[in-house]
Amino acid sequence: MLVFVIRRLLVTVPVLLAASMFSFALIDVTGDPLADLLVQQPPPSQEVIQAERERLYLDRPAYERYWLWLTGIGGNGDIGLLQGEFGPSVQGPAFDVGAEVAARMGVTLRLVAAAVLLALGLAVATGVVSAMRQYSVVDHTLTFIGFLALAMPTFWLGALIKEAGVWANGQLGTTVFSTIGASAADTRGMDLWERIADAGGHLVLPTVALMLTGYAAWSRYQRTAMLEVLNSDYVRLAHAKGLRRRTVMRRHALRTALIPLTSVAAVTIAEILAGTVLIETVFQWRGMGTLLVEAVRTSDAYVLMGWLMLAGTLVVLANLAADLLYGVLDPRIRYE
Amino acid sequence: MANVRNRSRLTGPAAVAAALALAAAGCTGGGGGGGTGAGGVWEECESDPNTCNSGERADGGEITWVVSDFPGAWTTVSPEGGSVYTLQMLSGIVPSTGQWAPDGETYEFNMDLLAEEPELVSEDPFTFSFTFADGAEWDDGTPIGADDAIATVKMSTSDEEGWCEGCRSRQPGIYDDVDEMEASEDGKTVTFTLKDGRANPEWRGFLDAHQIAGGILPAHLAEEQGYDLDEPADVGAYFEWLNETVPEYSGGPYTIVEGDLETQVIMEPNENWYGEVQPTLDTVIVQFNDNENSWVPALTNGEIDGGNPAKINDDVIEQLRGMPEVSVDVGPGASWEHIDLNTENEWLQDVELRRAVFTAIDAQEIVERSYGTAYPEVQRKTNHTFAADSPHHEDLFGDSPQGTGDAEEAARILEEAGYEIVDGTLERDGEQVGPFRLRATADQVRQDSLQIIQSHLEEIGVATEIEAINDLGGVLGDQDYDIVQFGWSTSPWFLINPGQQWHSGSGSNFGGLDVPEVDEALDRMGTATTLEEAAEYANDAGRLVVDQAYVLPLADEPRYSFVTDGFTNIRDNRQHSLRATYNIGEWGTVAN
Repeated sequence: MLVFVIRRLLVTVPVLLAASMFSFALIDVTGDPLADLLVQQPPPSQEVIQAERERLYLDRPAYERYWLWLTGIGGNGDIGLLQGEFGPSVQGPAFDVGAEVAARMGVTLRLVAAAVLLALGLAVATGVVSAMRQYSVVDHTLTFIGFLALAMPTFWLGALIKEAGVWANGQLGTTVFSTIGASAADTRGMDLWERIADAGGHLVLPTVALMLTGYAAWSRYQRTAMLEVLNSDYVRLAHAKGLRRRTVMRRHALRTALIPLTSVAAVTIAEILAGTVLIETVFQWRGMGTLLVEAVRTSDAYVLMGWLMLAGTLVVLANLAADLLYGVLDPRIRYE
Repeated sequence: MANVRNRSRLTGPAAVAAALALAAAGCTGGGGGGGTGAGGVWEECESDPNTCNSGERADGGEITWVVSDFPGAWTTVSPEGGSVYTLQMLSGIVPSTGQWAPDGETYEFNMDLLAEEPELVSEDPFTFSFTFADGAEWDDGTPIGADDAIATVKMSTSDEEGWCEGCRSRQPGIYDDVDEMEASEDGKTVTFTLKDGRANPEWRGFLDAHQIAGGILPAHLAEEQGYDLDEPADVGAYFEWLNETVPEYSGGPYTIVEGDLETQVIMEPNENWYGEVQPTLDTVIVQFNDNENSWVPALTNGEIDGGNPAKINDDVIEQLRGMPEVSVDVGPGASWEHIDLNTENEWLQDVELRRAVFTAIDAQEIVERSYGTAYPEVQRKTNHTFAADSPHHEDLFGDSPQGTGDAEEAARILEEAGYEIVDGTLERDGEQVGPFRLRATADQVRQDSLQIIQSHLEEIGVATEIEAINDLGGVLGDQDYDIVQFGWSTSPWFLINPGQQWHSGSGSNFGGLDVPEVDEALDRMGTATTLEEAAEYANDAGRLVVDQAYVLPLADEPRYSFVTDGFTNIRDNRQHSLRATYNIGEWGTVAN
């Protein structure tokens, strides 16, 4: 398996390299990092603009900038991915892109981890129940909820959930669910439990919103996979052998039915990252999503590159994890 | 902070159902409404802008104030920190020598900081001085004085002046005119002498809240950090240190106790504040939140208490006006929308065509349809430099048909200039004029405006193609437009704006106007010794710009602010970058 993992990781290098070239080219043609500076009021002097141009390496051609971004050779020590430097930001020389991406990633992971775990758990549970009670009232209800969540745009779903949270607070007469930020504005003086309660109050609404976007698709996959497995010969055989229904479901049916969901879940990680862009904006979390929005808005090229490379790496790793999970779930698969 | 507030009578399920219905209909909930400029505790602000919502303050309390975008740095001198958001974040921290009051006509010196009003020592060479009050101190007890003023000016200059090596001042402008800076022996008076031939009629505001530093930065911390401010390289290093370090200093009523550039700063009263009016709030939280749709739920939820957004939003204003315990104030702000023509375009280099184009555009219709919902009192702007209530204002368009939407007059101008409208298409010598690229950023107000302009120009046979701009700075810098709509910000200090917008040597004269008479009028502004004289030259230049049909002002874009009940001494100052935070030290909860 180790050889397989190493081989897969090596394959990702050219993939990420090609993706980085493509991304860099796209970013380069879609915006001018100095655009905000040029329309600043009062207008900055030409000297200031030129100095910024040089600081951001915009005085060099695009291919040279890409090489700089990748290797750092010929730079001022603030650029070069291979040297651990992500490059300068339009937000000034003090802005450390790497540190910022890492800090924002922590915030986003908190949101995504909770949402993914909940979504997967719910999707598996409701998918199995739907399949086992196909065409029952329960199945129709769960199907309706799934399609509803699937059909609703993430930003709108987020806004609705926020409204619901505000309404619930109104009914309770106190603020249980918070609508902006990952924590209260002023957490000084809070003890540990108050901090946990505060973090929870801020986590609930965006997590539910993000969870529903993942859950909707996954529950449908799980239902379909489960139905297929339930109608297969080996499950019928297991029943015929006199195995208990629960044993058949858990040991034989569910395990096999999880394989398609594993593939889909890995790919959907990218969609969930995209979902965080909207959810973090709606709920004003300062995570990877809002970092992307700010970087796009300000044409902050190296921040965008850092974001895209990290997201790309995560997707690659998620796919690798899915491949490895196949081996765990399906005894027929062996990695050599 | 307050608990949950009642918001209308909607129940949750009904709200969700209504939201579903609205979304299904593709509706945002806007439309209708209208209403007056100011309401609630700000009802008097229209007639009494400087003291409305004044009152006794109770001791204690907390407020969370929303700033509608993110500050880029910890000082406002650098390019990344140069925004109203950074200025508002630092309000109450950075002391300044004065500022304009909300009426835009009254200038108030900070007599807590100054011992006396600034003095004009000489007109030739142009020399003036500021004397700081004996009791004025930073929060650590260090006196505020000449050294601080000199350090601030050094950091605001460009490298070429030799005061600072590596300072990235975003707008050296008036500071590069300084020839000498001198501190008195007691360190309380600083005297500035400008270069030969240079003058500055706005000298009183040299260190005020409207300048790029937003006031005066501390010098004494430089020594603590190992910098010698007599060494230009050290000044540059200190510039960067201040720019990237959370201010632990304060020369204002509050001090920052915690904060970052992505979420908020938390401020508490400065124990060493020397001002006459002491702050009463225990905590002021300035929160950065760029999602305007999140403000109303957050306000309902008691998570924020007020804010002064930089952009108008009809839907949000209507929702805020529907909240019973929230006051909303809308009025003309310090940014003006205008339509510019590219004078280097093959066709638009003809001034007669430009005049006809501007004559065909109905400016009043555009401003009413752009801003009339939130601010029905909005009026067309008739002077590029001065707002209608400025003492220097003259109606520069009174004798001109430009902006009237008079298609017949426009057609007459074209006919006299040798153009013909054939089958609804404007031609000259048998060749079609245009079509022109009509551009603006993608926001709805501007895109709607472009459609109106397009329909007006169709009446004189001018075809246009609307193109949205994603990168305004790049488009303007590259002159990648024929007709463009965008905004300039302004301030009661007006000296630098006209030159930057119209002088042939300015990098911000995007449409390429190159008229010697305009340049001469603008150059004269740099030698004026009084505001009246400078205003006269600005109006002279403005008249020439009207004659050249280069820029058609539309309106001072309205701004709004909102606050929940229970707070006093909060009012908007729309002519000021600090907006409502201009008197943050006076804010308080209402005394019972």
